[in-house]
Amino acid sequence: MPLLKQYFLWLLLVLALPGCVDPFEPDVLDSPPKYLVVNGFINLSGVTTIRLSRTQSIAGGAAPLVEPKATVTIVDETGAPYTLTEQTPGTYVSAALNLSPGRKYQLRLRTAAGREYASALVAAKVTPPIESLRWALENGRVQVYVNTRDATNSTRYYRWSYAETWQFETPYYSGLEYVGGRVQPRTEDVSTCWTTVNSSSIELSSTARLSQDVVANFPLVLLPGNSVKLRVKYSVLVRQYAQTPEEYAYWELLKANTETVGSLFDPVPSQLTGNVRSLTDDTETVIGYVGASTETQKRLFISSSELPATVYETGYKCPRPDTVLLGGINGAFGNGAVVPLFGVYGPPLTSILVGYATAPADCADCRRRGTNKRPDFWQ
Amino acid sequence: MKYFYRLLLLVLGCVGSVSSYAQTPEPVISGTFRGLTLEQFVRQLEAQTQYRFFFDSAAVKQVKVTLQPQEQSLTSVLQQALAPVDLRFAIDADHNVFITPGRPLVTTLPGNFFQGGVATPAATDQPVAVAEPVRAATNPARLYEIGSPREGLTKATLAGHVREAKSGEPVLGASVYIEAPAVGVSTDQFGYYALTLPPGRYTLNIRGIGIRNTQRRILLHSDGKLEVEVEEDITNLKEVVIEAEKDKNVAGMQMGLEKLDIKTIRQVPTAFGEADILRVVLTLPGVKAIGEGSTGISVRGGGTDQNLILFNDATVYNPSHLFGFFSAFNPDMLKTVELYKSAIPARYGGRLSSVLDIATRDGNKKKFSGSGGIGALTSRLTLEGPIIKDKSSFLIGARTSYSDWLLHLLPNRDLRESSASFYDLSAHISHELNEKNSLYATGYLSRDRFKLASDTAYAYQNRSGSLKWKHIFSNRLYGVLTGTFSQYQYQVASERNPVTASELSYGITQLGGQADFSFFLNAKHTIDFGVSTLRYRVQPGRLVPQGNESLILPDELAREQAQESALYLSDRIDITSRLAVSLGLRYSLYQALGPRDVNQYLPGAPRSTGTIVDTVRYGAGATIATYHGPEYRVSLKYALTDNSSVKASYNRTRQYINQLSNTASLSPTDTWKLSDAYVRPQVGDQVSVGYYHNFRRNTIETSVETYYKRMHDFVDYKNGARLLLNHHLETDLINAEGKAYGVEVSIKKSTGKLNGWLNYTYSRSLVQANSSFAAERINGGKYYPSNFDKPHDVMLAGNYRFSRRFSTSVNFNYSTGRPITLPLALYYVDGVPRVYYSDRNAYRVPDYYRVDFAMNIEGGHKAKKLAHSSWTVSVYNLTGRRNPYSVYFKTQEGRVAGYQLSIFGQPIPTVTYNFKF
Repeated sequence: MPLLKQYFLWLLLVLALPGCVDPFEPDVLDSPPKYLVVNGFINLSGVTTIRLSRTQSIAGGAAPLVEPKATVTIVDETGAPYTLTEQTPGTYVSAALNLSPGRKYQLRLRTAAGREYASALVAAKVTPPIESLRWALENGRVQVYVNTRDATNSTRYYRWSYAETWQFETPYYSGLEYVGGRVQPRTEDVSTCWTTVNSSSIELSSTARLSQDVVANFPLVLLPGNSVKLRVKYSVLVRQYAQTPEEYAYWELLKANTETVGSLFDPVPSQLTGNVRSLTDDTETVIGYVGASTETQKRLFISSSELPATVYETGYKCPRPDTVLLGGINGAFGNGAVVPLFGVYGPPLTSILVGYATAPADCADCRRRGTNKRPDFWQ
Repeated sequence: MKYFYRLLLLVLGCVGSVSSYAQTPEPVISGTFRGLTLEQFVRQLEAQTQYRFFFDSAAVKQVKVTLQPQEQSLTSVLQQALAPVDLRFAIDADHNVFITPGRPLVTTLPGNFFQGGVATPAATDQPVAVAEPVRAATNPARLYEIGSPREGLTKATLAGHVREAKSGEPVLGASVYIEAPAVGVSTDQFGYYALTLPPGRYTLNIRGIGIRNTQRRILLHSDGKLEVEVEEDITNLKEVVIEAEKDKNVAGMQMGLEKLDIKTIRQVPTAFGEADILRVVLTLPGVKAIGEGSTGISVRGGGTDQNLILFNDATVYNPSHLFGFFSAFNPDMLKTVELYKSAIPARYGGRLSSVLDIATRDGNKKKFSGSGGIGALTSRLTLEGPIIKDKSSFLIGARTSYSDWLLHLLPNRDLRESSASFYDLSAHISHELNEKNSLYATGYLSRDRFKLASDTAYAYQNRSGSLKWKHIFSNRLYGVLTGTFSQYQYQVASERNPVTASELSYGITQLGGQADFSFFLNAKHTIDFGVSTLRYRVQPGRLVPQGNESLILPDELAREQAQESALYLSDRIDITSRLAVSLGLRYSLYQALGPRDVNQYLPGAPRSTGTIVDTVRYGAGATIATYHGPEYRVSLKYALTDNSSVKASYNRTRQYINQLSNTASLSPTDTWKLSDAYVRPQVGDQVSVGYYHNFRRNTIETSVETYYKRMHDFVDYKNGARLLLNHHLETDLINAEGKAYGVEVSIKKSTGKLNGWLNYTYSRSLVQANSSFAAERINGGKYYPSNFDKPHDVMLAGNYRFSRRFSTSVNFNYSTGRPITLPLALYYVDGVPRVYYSDRNAYRVPDYYRVDFAMNIEGGHKAKKLAHSSWTVSVYNLTGRRNPYSVYFKTQEGRVAGYQLSIFGQPIPTVTYNFKF
């Protein structure tokens, strides 16, 4: 079905020639509702992180409206509480817990305004380990697949999220830095960095229709063959979550509502709330589904040496290096937008420093786009 | 008419060739004539005698003469030769022999002819072959005697068929009437008519679609038959709008009926240049589509599944090709399309909102001919001709697309691996066994196939067939026995990943039988009655693995079957010349039948898998659920003046089969679900009132119709319902209530150089899903606009004929945008923005507006020509307005963006070549 959706538009373009998609910005709702949003899951073995926020204007741009100073507690079916503490505004974390998978759990909330909420009591799911991650070059694109299985046939519903990390290099090497009005050699390398991005799509698969609880080659990440991510080395950390059918249905609907709507055969979007209810006012809308499970992880590396020779995208658009004479360095480097690359000496065959070659900071300092601290897992 | 002139010319020609032979004794003839045509036969006679023979060669083409006279008189020889083939002859004083079908020509003037006074037509004074049945009345000047004079008879019924002289096809919906007293009827689907009159002399007027207006003079003695053959209007091929039923709007009983003929259908510009009936139906007042490029229609606020689509009486489940861009009917096969929006006759049942009755032509009974068209994406060919001349004919049509070829030319690899194609075939045979018995058989097959980027392959098929036997018991009673078969199936195959390769299939089969009778009791009562029964068999879903590697578990939903039967009786009563009522009652009975396992749910709790308490097994043929009830069909007409009338109707309809579709438009993967213990039948009530006024001698028709409609228990879905392969579908469905109301204003000019129609509709369509369980409530149980709720709608279809050969048409359409569910707010889940949607259908897309333009250029109108051809040049969406088909919001790279999808966002020009031979 997803392929149908993807290609149907193309088919239309061919048949009707001018089928088209335009931006649509209705001027509805200048004052959007501010419903409470509960995001996170009860982690049976480890730290549980719950984020509380409020819905905000669709126009976007604004930072999430967090809900600070709430009291958040995990409660099991016997009533035993595990309190979470507010780490940063709106983010509540538990201690590293080891909860019994045989019990049911729920989340209880009390906002600063004194309103009380609770998620439904849910059965805990133990997530099987990821069997393998593998990748393949297909039609010039790199496709990462996940394989998993549960010999006890009891998981059936899976969700994945992933974090991609890749190494990259700046187009220009800057061996110098401008500190306190002087240009001096750098003490650390700023040309090689790593950056990490979390997945933004919801990845789900169910084996309920299969005779065995086996997920075979579920396509998780698709990269263009010349992606900047593959230029040096690429890594992806996949996190796997087992779900109950109800939780799976919630995520499936959330995905359908926001990722796959729009083509002709998609279901019409529908209101989706979740399993959190207000105990103070039954009619209040609360958004979020709080499940309880363990999390398993696996990491995959792809080095450019494993791929056919390709002209990769650099991700950079940089001008040729410029030159700043010694007298102009304060003006040139003062605001940090431009950095020195190397000294310029002249006239020929002399060693008299006359100025510095320069480039925009983004083109020579990779910390603008990531971190130059090698991640612990990097190999 | 043409024959009359030909005959007249012959007669006139004979004046010049009259030889001055004196009266001589009749010659005697001897010889052996074996298997001669009449022409060869009379040539031999002319050689033997001084007599000259005159006849219409076309009328005697089939005549074969085999005789061995020995010294017999000419008269006796002619009698022997001509009597068996229903020919008569007359010999005048000048040795001219006139051979005519039916009755001898009068060769002498009445005795008192020159004596002044009123000229009495010769026929009444001449002895005529009274008892001999007339094969077909073709002559407007002649007086046809019906029956034999009987004393004391006050009423006599005249009945027969109106057929086209050239093709022998019945003329549907033609008015057959006399002016004084004003008595008239319309011919039915077989071209049949019956009139009850006091014995006497009348002029019978015949007017109809595609025929030349004509008259027949009759002298009615007693009950009898008059088969009328009329001339087709040749100038516009087979596609003329005649001033047929000019005053039907006002004088007819039926309200809420829209009738289209093929000419009107062809005039309306379409996206791909091919005449498309569903597209034209959408231009009628009260009919709306969910979106363009979709043939899912909503009639007066009803659902897309509430329309009974009949193709020569067989139900068609999916009337579209290629995602709905083409309708599944070959336009060259069609004769008329009738859409009943209210006052649905008792004869029809099984759907709530409307009946779309599509009738094919019967095929040319006289000669072989064909027609076709070549367009941008499709081509079509139709052939027809006699099997036995004047008795039986065939009509066969085929249509195919070549979009595959287009796709394979594209540079995009994914598209090159895609394919999309369709074809349809239809065939119709009609056979007249004898005067009282006729047989009709129709078969229809359509198949669609599309595959996208070599992954998922879709295919669907419609098959249907009908067999009809019409028997005329007497002039006043006839019956039609019909057997129908319909089937719809689809398959979705996924092959890309061998581990999950599978095929999902669905199928519904319907077998039906019905007997319908029409009884013309007297001039005041026309009674229709009949019985029908239908057997449904549904295979609701089957998933099978494909290939050895597939781990897919085979899954099959239990088959469903049901029987739907009905009885009906309706009486049309003409109380006075101004007031008429039609009273109809249909009683339908539905039984959902086993074998099946039916889940029992905890009473007082919402149905879900968690509340199943038991499963009851029903054996084969056991009744799982029974529903039955009356369906009232009442209508009334009161003529205020000759030009205006008021009509009112009330009807109730029941529907036992529901379409499940959770998508914005109709898709081929929509399934049909039979009513069962949990899905109750839909029941609809509609009251409507209308005022009709015709101006300028019935050339301009105006009408205002209003309606109010309630729909009970139609199927709606819980949010996020799963409809495919769901073993407990009842947990995802809810029974909703609907109401719809509106006003339709229409002005129509059907004749003249400038013709067309303009409609304005104000209508609302609302739904309410209010259950005691929160999960089964939508929008808090309040009424909300249905997908078809587009309050304002203006439609203009205009045609201007510059000459016989060149005409242009313009379409204009405006409507309120359809309701949508909008995202109201944004929130973050795992750092990714998501949207929160509004109540269902709380907002609307921008208004819809479209103009289309078409030009028709006809070839020359010489009647004798190898092939008649025409070109259609059309531009769909002339202004290129990007009408949103759907609006959606997508999270892309961490941003929520709104988009509108337009299907036809630019003008689409097409050229189609049509031919007919």
